[in-house]
Amino acid sequence: MTTPHTSGDAVMESPLAGAFDGATPGAHMLGPIQTLDTPMRRYGPHDEVDYVIVGVGSAGGVLIQRLARAGFRVVGFDAGPFWDTERDWVSDEAGSYNLYWNDLRITGGSEPLAFGANNSGKGVGGGSVHWAGFTPRFHPSDFSVYSDTGLGADWPISYQDVKPYYELLELEIPVAGPSYYPWGDPHGYAYGPHPMGGVGDVLINGCTKLGIGVSIGGPVAITSGSHGDRPHCIYRGFCIQGCKVGAKQSTLISHVPDAIRHGAEIRANCMVARVNLGADGRVTGVTYFDPDGNLREQHAKVVIVSGYSIETPRLLFNSACPGFEQGLANSSGVLGKYLMAQAGTVVLGRFAAPIRMYKAPPAHALTEEFYETDPARDFVRGFAIQTVGPLPIAFAKQMMVAKGAWGWGMRKVMMDYNHWAALGFLGEILPWEDNRVELAAETDRHGLPVAKITFGLHDNDKKLIKWGVDKTMEVMYAAGAEEVVREPRYAHLIGGARMGNDPRTSVVDGFGRAHDIPNLFLCDGSIFPTQGSANPGLTIQAIAARTADYLIAQGAGVVNRPPRAVPAANPPLRRDLSPHSTAGRGMPRLKSKTPKAKLGLGGLAAGNRG
Amino acid sequence: MSLTNKTQDMPLPPDPNAPRPTIESGPPATTPAGRLPINTRTGQPIQPRPQPGYYPGFSTLSQQKFWDEATRRVVLARVNNPPPIRFFTPDEARLMRAVIERVLPQDDRDEAHRVPILNYIDDRLYHNRIDGYRYEDMPPDREAHRLGLQAIERIAQTMYGQPFIALPPDQQERVLKTIHDVEPPAAHDIWRQMSIQRYWMLLVQDVVDAYYAHPYAWDEIGFGGPAYPRGYMRLEGGKPEPWEVAEQRYEWSGPLWAVSNEYGPIGAGHETITPGQEGTH
Repeated sequence: MTTPHTSGDAVMESPLAGAFDGATPGAHMLGPIQTLDTPMRRYGPHDEVDYVIVGVGSAGGVLIQRLARAGFRVVGFDAGPFWDTERDWVSDEAGSYNLYWNDLRITGGSEPLAFGANNSGKGVGGGSVHWAGFTPRFHPSDFSVYSDTGLGADWPISYQDVKPYYELLELEIPVAGPSYYPWGDPHGYAYGPHPMGGVGDVLINGCTKLGIGVSIGGPVAITSGSHGDRPHCIYRGFCIQGCKVGAKQSTLISHVPDAIRHGAEIRANCMVARVNLGADGRVTGVTYFDPDGNLREQHAKVVIVSGYSIETPRLLFNSACPGFEQGLANSSGVLGKYLMAQAGTVVLGRFAAPIRMYKAPPAHALTEEFYETDPARDFVRGFAIQTVGPLPIAFAKQMMVAKGAWGWGMRKVMMDYNHWAALGFLGEILPWEDNRVELAAETDRHGLPVAKITFGLHDNDKKLIKWGVDKTMEVMYAAGAEEVVREPRYAHLIGGARMGNDPRTSVVDGFGRAHDIPNLFLCDGSIFPTQGSANPGLTIQAIAARTADYLIAQGAGVVNRPPRAVPAANPPLRRDLSPHSTAGRGMPRLKSKTPKAKLGLGGLAAGNRG
Repeated sequence: MSLTNKTQDMPLPPDPNAPRPTIESGPPATTPAGRLPINTRTGQPIQPRPQPGYYPGFSTLSQQKFWDEATRRVVLARVNNPPPIRFFTPDEARLMRAVIERVLPQDDRDEAHRVPILNYIDDRLYHNRIDGYRYEDMPPDREAHRLGLQAIERIAQTMYGQPFIALPPDQQERVLKTIHDVEPPAAHDIWRQMSIQRYWMLLVQDVVDAYYAHPYAWDEIGFGGPAYPRGYMRLEGGKPEPWEVAEQRYEWSGPLWAVSNEYGPIGAGHETITPGQEGTH
């Protein structure tokens, strides 16, 4: 194809000696990421399966992989496509429109949230396809916010319950980061940190000048070296447009292939319309629209809804039925309430020297120095400061808000794009009952009522944002910025169907089982009672792995156990269910029973016993 | 912002005997030269060219053989096959085009290298590609754009007694500025149907969505464009890749009459919080 070129072609044509030309076109491409050699299992319309999972995203992808590996018959539904990443994804902002949940939602309240590209994925892999990939753990204090501060909520589980799954998922994803990470429960990462980009250098410089600790090169769900079939990061900066490279983890590439190899079926482009309740008070399966728009049913012994904070409550509201007029599993009236987003104000600084912030992953350095409650401040809980790297369209919209730019002023500030760096403030907003998901009067193309979201800030949130954004701007100035502006916004979603011990004030228990219905589980960010100021993706995946272990340990008991008779003990940790390429099995050791002489290693192994 | 310098109806370079434009005023908006941005050091209007900006010779399209096929297909279609106008009526399209020319002016681009912003916005509305949500105080995007055009026309009539498209660019800017400032002097019945600041954000976002999606705009601002499968090697210190171009700055300003040269929050003077809408972290 020919296109109009501007001058300079001769200089620019082949600076690298045509690295990607050759006798076999495409042979030098990094993708396709994986070729699935196993045909996907297909269940018939009358087969009753063990598990139906609604939404194959961050949580659903991990769940379906675990349950399939454990031998269950499992079908995952996703409203969006099963991506062919080499064909469907592009290295282009505007061209990535289809990655997001762009169906209508109504947003209101005093601080209405933005959805779509901001926080909502659609398609297999879900939000993990377009997350920036920051993977900090929650801190131990996140699980006892109410006990510690008198505000917010407590979790029915503790950090120690989740910790083994953090460790496991950090290897499965895998997470790259420093060997010592000082905040929360200090820990290290098995995969090395990434090199710095221009924005990371800004964060380091600003924090160092102010005496603030900063973690560089991670933790991020991006490979710093090749991992199994996956190449390492190439620092192209298009993380939130879907990583064509396969370096950034999504469950589409880390867990779904393993699920399919172990007999899971994934029905893409299928929108679940309702979860069906049987006469005995147990769910019987789901009704869904197939890719051609035909209404179909799938029976299952257990249904797990993993649709995230908007679609999970919406599906349960849309599944209202006699006995559950206010929404399925909503005898508490809490469904849809206590919705959270994190304050995600972007602080932008202009520097005299070029930055070129489009290079390197947007996510590559952060500080959690201000994460915990500090009695010296006039608010509880805290925030993180992270690198972000907006590409031109996102940056132009930030300038529209932060500077009020338009017309010639927009042209001018955009010509300075390469001089700007962006830091993302990430502040904890507490759960409030009036921040909520409901149904709107309007319907989608299937005739299903769409979600209506109401969101606003409360006193503690406003104080926290004021203090934290000021601190972030101080860091930007300390780094040497000559002009600093900010764009208020919100990042991530949490809550809407929270877990708890009391069925009167929560929707599900500590394993995600609906208090009202024994064979209905919710598993995604919607069940989190609080959100901390850590990006939620890792914790969502870790909770999914924990729920899977619970379900596997319960076996058939999941279906038969009466409601609210839940064992409190943690299930056995199933390290053996990790996807094939997961590292972290450690240095090879000889079993002590093995005759040493037979292996020819003599006394060498003696000191090697694990 | 003065219109006092009436001698600058110029073919350039200017008649050496004519008074030179001063940096304080510049050529008036009613003249061809007055539509152009200006080098504030030399005082000279910057003539239309294929590629404005500080990166002469930088061409993302020249790198297309280093892009993956899917990306190349999407970007080249954007450049070579702009969609037809199907949503806006001819009258609406004329007005919308004039509005877009002020929200994102391209007077300093030669005809062959202007980005057909209207076509991309029309295409989005024709296919009703929404962003996944609607504010409860806003009508659907299609209706909002139609109402917005009606409002702009009525503000122009109220302020200047003429249709928007008949106004010189400085007066057109002042019409739009009233919406940016959330103080439109007319069309109050329309503003009861939709939030003024959200309409402004919808308009500006749609325009920048189209313009900064285009390789010509990437070349202008020095953005590397698609970068898979090659990636980047020089991550730190703002260094260009071997195939990128180092910045060559000069003093650049929009025409000196332009109120859009000045930055100020949307809804200046109002207690408004205007959250952004793109994903970041």
